[in-house]
Amino acid sequence: MSSEKRIIHLHIPSELGYEKVAMGAARSVAQAMGFSNDRILDLQTAIAEACTNAMEHGNRLNAAQRVEVVLTVEENALAVDVNDKGKNPQFGEPEIREHDKHRGMGMYIIKQLVDEVQWSAKPQGGQVRMVIYLEPKEEAGA
Amino acid sequence: MAQELKVTARRVVSVTLLDLQGDVTMFAEAELTRAYHAAVDAGARALVLNFAGTDYINSAGIAIIISLLTEARASGITLVICGLSSHYQKIFRMVGLTQYAEVFETEEAAVGELKSRSSEPA
Repeated sequence: MSSEKRIIHLHIPSELGYEKVAMGAARSVAQAMGFSNDRILDLQTAIAEACTNAMEHGNRLNAAQRVEVVLTVEENALAVDVNDKGKNPQFGEPEIREHDKHRGMGMYIIKQLVDEVQWSAKPQGGQVRMVIYLEPKEEAGA
Repeated sequence: MAQELKVTARRVVSVTLLDLQGDVTMFAEAELTRAYHAAVDAGARALVLNFAGTDYINSAGIAIIISLLTEARASGITLVICGLSSHYQKIFRMVGLTQYAEVFETEEAAVGELKSRSSEPA
C-alpha cells in the first residue's frame, strides 16, 4: 500500500451486528498496512464499541439512519472516524458518563485500546475519532 | 449479521460446563441467564463458562457476565471462566472482570481446579 492518503467510507445500518462490517473492513486495511494481529484485534474491538454506541445512543437504533465509518490511511497511522446522527450533544469524556454502565465501559475500553481517541458533538451528530500508529508514539518526556 | 448465542450445559464429574457458541452481546442475556439458572436449579454448585466457541464479546456482553458472576457469588455458587482468547483475557482484565471470577486458559484447567476444591476436606 502506498504512503499516499487513502480514505474508505462505509455507511452501515443502525442495527446491532452490522458493526462487524466495519470491523472486517478495518482488519483488511490494517493488515495491508502491516499492523500486528494484536493491534488489529484492539482496533476491531474499539471500532465495535464506537459503532454500537453510535447505533444505540446516537441513532437510537433507527435502522434507516446510517452510522458512517471513515477509515483514513496515513503514512504511519490508521484513523477511524465513527459518525452518528444524534441531535443531542452526547459524547463527553467517559468518566462523566457513568450513569450508563456498559456504555461507560465501552468508552473506557476504546481509550485503553487505541493510541488516540477524541469524542465530539457536532451539529450534524456525534463523532468518535480513533487513531492507531504503526509505531506507538513516545510518551511525552519518556 | 449477529450470531445468536447458544449455551449448552454438560456435566464433567462434579462440575457443570456452560459452552457458549456465538456472540456475547446484549442479545445474549436471556440465553445466558436461562442456562445458568437451569444448571443451578438442577443442583450445580460449581460452574464453568466456556468461551471457546465465541469470538465476539462486547461491553454489553461483559456487563451481562458481571451480573451473572455477582449473582453467583451472592448465592455461594462457584462460577469461573475458561476458553477466552488472549485478546479477550486482556479485555476482561482491563475492565476488572477478573476481580469477580478466576480465568483459566483451558476447560481442563478449570475443571481440574474445581474438582480438586470439591474434594478438599471442609
